Amino acid sequence: MNVQQQVPRNALMWIIISLFALVAPHVSRLPVWVLAVYVVAVVWRLQVHRGRWSFPGRWVKVAMTVSGFIGIYASYGTLVGLEPTVALLLTAFALKFIELSQRKDAYVLLFLGYFICITEFLFSQDLLITLYSVLNVLLVTTALVALHQPGQNQFNRGTIRLAGVMLLQAVPLMLVLFFVFPRFGPLWTVPLKSHTAKTGMSDFMKPGDVASLSQSADVAFRVKFDGEIPEKSSLYWRGLVFSRLEQDVWSGLGYYDVPLSEQRPEPVATSGRPLRYTVIMESTQQNWLYGLHYAEARSAGVLQSSDYRMVSPAPLETEYMYRVQSWTDVPVELELSDWRRRTETKLPPQGNPRTRKLARDMRAQAGSDELFVQQVLDKFNLEEYVYTLRPGALSGSNRIDQFLLETRRGFCEHYASAFVFMMRAAGVPARVVAGYQGGEVNPLNRTVIVHQFDAHAWAEVWLENQGWVRVDPTSAVSPLRIQMGLEEAMASEGSFLAAAPLSPLRYRGIPLLNQLRLRYDALTYRWQSWVVGFDSEQQFDLLHSMFGEISTRIFATLLLGSWALVLVPVAISLFMKRDTHPGSPLDKYYRMFCERMAGLGLVRVPGETPGQFAQRTMAELPAFGEQLQHITGLYNTLAYAGEMDKAGLAQFARAVKRFKPNRRRALVEEDNTI
Amino acid sequence: MQVQGLVDGAVKEVGNILLGKEPQIRLALCCLFARGHLLLEDLPGMGKTTLSHALASVLGLSWKRVQFTSDLLPADILGVSVFDSNDASFTFHPGPIFTQLLLADEINRTTPRTQSALLEAMAEGQVTVEGETRPLPQPFFVIATQNPVHQSGTYPLPESQLDRFLMRLELGYPHPQAERQMFERRHSGAMEISNPRQCIDMEQLEMIRIAVSKVHASENLLDYLQRLVAHTRQSPEFEVGLSPRGALALLDCAKTWAAMHNRGHVVPEDLQAVLPAVAAHRLVPSGDYAGDGDALVDLLRREVDVIGR
Repeated sequence: MNVQQQVPRNALMWIIISLFALVAPHVSRLPVWVLAVYVVAVVWRLQVHRGRWSFPGRWVKVAMTVSGFIGIYASYGTLVGLEPTVALLLTAFALKFIELSQRKDAYVLLFLGYFICITEFLFSQDLLITLYSVLNVLLVTTALVALHQPGQNQFNRGTIRLAGVMLLQAVPLMLVLFFVFPRFGPLWTVPLKSHTAKTGMSDFMKPGDVASLSQSADVAFRVKFDGEIPEKSSLYWRGLVFSRLEQDVWSGLGYYDVPLSEQRPEPVATSGRPLRYTVIMESTQQNWLYGLHYAEARSAGVLQSSDYRMVSPAPLETEYMYRVQSWTDVPVELELSDWRRRTETKLPPQGNPRTRKLARDMRAQAGSDELFVQQVLDKFNLEEYVYTLRPGALSGSNRIDQFLLETRRGFCEHYASAFVFMMRAAGVPARVVAGYQGGEVNPLNRTVIVHQFDAHAWAEVWLENQGWVRVDPTSAVSPLRIQMGLEEAMASEGSFLAAAPLSPLRYRGIPLLNQLRLRYDALTYRWQSWVVGFDSEQQFDLLHSMFGEISTRIFATLLLGSWALVLVPVAISLFMKRDTHPGSPLDKYYRMFCERMAGLGLVRVPGETPGQFAQRTMAELPAFGEQLQHITGLYNTLAYAGEMDKAGLAQFARAVKRFKPNRRRALVEEDNTI
Repeated sequence: MQVQGLVDGAVKEVGNILLGKEPQIRLALCCLFARGHLLLEDLPGMGKTTLSHALASVLGLSWKRVQFTSDLLPADILGVSVFDSNDASFTFHPGPIFTQLLLADEINRTTPRTQSALLEAMAEGQVTVEGETRPLPQPFFVIATQNPVHQSGTYPLPESQLDRFLMRLELGYPHPQAERQMFERRHSGAMEISNPRQCIDMEQLEMIRIAVSKVHASENLLDYLQRLVAHTRQSPEFEVGLSPRGALALLDCAKTWAAMHNRGHVVPEDLQAVLPAVAAHRLVPSGDYAGDGDALVDLLRREVDVIGR
């Protein structure tokens, strides 16, 4: 094989390192056998390198490829979707490595490596993942550099320095591209994640289905208030409204469940100063957005639903930032339409007869809706109801009866569900609201971090002249839950984050760890709001504030201009470097002479001595023979015979300056000589 | 005028024996005038030995020839002390190296041990046998011949020892015309190698050396030399660049070349003329470079600018 095409050992080592570094972040999502493929591939290739084994034959390769496909299909049950596709790509990456023999194979492999590096961002855009990806880029670039250092038969750590310097040089261009390059919408869409096993909000609620609630310490979203952060107990982040109860399942109204006339929510007469805040959501794969009571989005592209929620038109596949303003005291929907009243009081025809009867009795006794609400809450508060995360499962068709009158143990879902059921049974419009309650204030940057375990369900009741009023039956049972948060409320039960033993949140008692956790979270907030959240809108705002009207031409000019800003200094510094050793004036004049000859099409090649050049040119242009000889003779005398003096130099300079050859004249004179 | 006349005479005399090889003969003379040792490398039967003979005759030097074989020992070249029973003492019997011009034929056929014994003598100009240092006659030249290394049964000289030779020359196949002339001479029976007559005696040799030492190398020329050397050290085609010794060798040869052409100063043409013979065997092409040393030197000559910036 041509030595040019060989892969140096140093490059091979770097490729192996980057191979494992690239697959590492995907490990948790991959079947174990894919990792085995990596080990086999590396061992095989190393054995080939040592001359023990040979490259796989064609049929072996075909067999491996086919079994790769079969394996992915067997592990995921499908070949489409993000995770199987990425797993397939990673398997192919390992298999390709086995047959790496020439430089061109290495190119394919390494460029694929850059691509694999990007695939990590389809799953997470976390700060740490980004830093890790930078490391991966560095490793792949190092392998690429090593590929271009032939004859390196030892593993060379210095290669990574060179690659690092090269990447650092690329940083200014990267920044320019980041800020200026137009953000296009996706050219094609990747199929969504097939396994969204995240414990987040779901779009239905079935109290009593799970015996114990397991919480996750993942962050749901972060909020930054423009002003003071309101009281924690008033932070009810509305996300979903469940208006329908069917077969013990609470669910929201679909788009087609709402008649056209009811699609647009009645405008709310807002008054007073709103609370303003920015929310950065983690990716949820869902459409709904969270906000405090009566929230209006200030970002474009956020829709409002008929029950006054904020909705994103597309599922959130990446982190998403939006700005909101809320009027927490303003009444909403003072007039209830007939359809809305019917919907919000509807109950299944059968089931839970004892609760229905109890509700009707209590309503009759109370005299007014308002008092009725208060009495139900008093009932929860005064009687033996227990707030617990481990209530045990409910079964049968009369679950609410069972909970309300027998077990009396439950968490927010149970109480909200029972409360709304009672309201509706007595003819009071009510609905369940799901979302998050409270949040953790990061003192470092004054953001509110809302975790998945802050998920909560409460109720809204429609009262005459007050519109929809928020009622939280859980707070009647366990005021601690609302005032202090879940952790304190569950302190005696010990069930807080029982399923997440490694979550840093569990170690909040250790001040150093807690400090680190909060600091990292503050960093994440900045990362999300400044880098990940830097979308075309923000880009437009930034450029608009800097340059005014934005047009394609300005974009292009800006792009070219900024590149020029980076590249021109480089070019100038290169140019200056060349000129740091100013040549002797003698050589300068000789070069001037050469340039004039070049104008006639006679270019001196670097290795040509003045004498050889003179001979060649004299043969071409006999008309100038004398002059050429004169100049060359002078130069040789001055440059080499050691007779350099000012007079000689001046004479040479004169001779060169006087020499103004002209092609036509040269040819004409040539003709004459013929 | 004098030097050029002498040289031309010598070249012509040798050229009578070795037909059509004037450039190589001139370079070989240049090498000897610059007090360097010469390595002739070519296939068998190309006239290497003929050239060495003729050079020795033309310069009127005492010469000896050693055919290097695989069982040759250092003592076979350097000499040995033998016990003389008459006066009951050891007397030293000098080996063939004690001569003015040693023709070491097929130097790469012998073992590295013997090679290095010779090469040490070449470097030092003296021989140490049994603890006693004996100077070699002056002038002392070695003309070694070798077959290209890809011939079987050879011990190629390592780079460090190749460096001891000021020049390496390849003779190459003769020009068809010259070869035809050779055939005709053989046919007419005039082929018997008659030793060429001596053209340059010791005094004249000394005069040439003095002339060489007076040759001027200007700043511009030294700049060019440094550019050449720097290129071999920086350009990726070269695995090993020119050593300072190699650079000095280039300068010495260029000065000698200038003197041989009756010039009191060196011009770039002189450097370029001696460049292949002086540099090719000292340069190692890197793994990336497909060509051999000669192609590399040609690349060097073409790429380095004669004129400074």
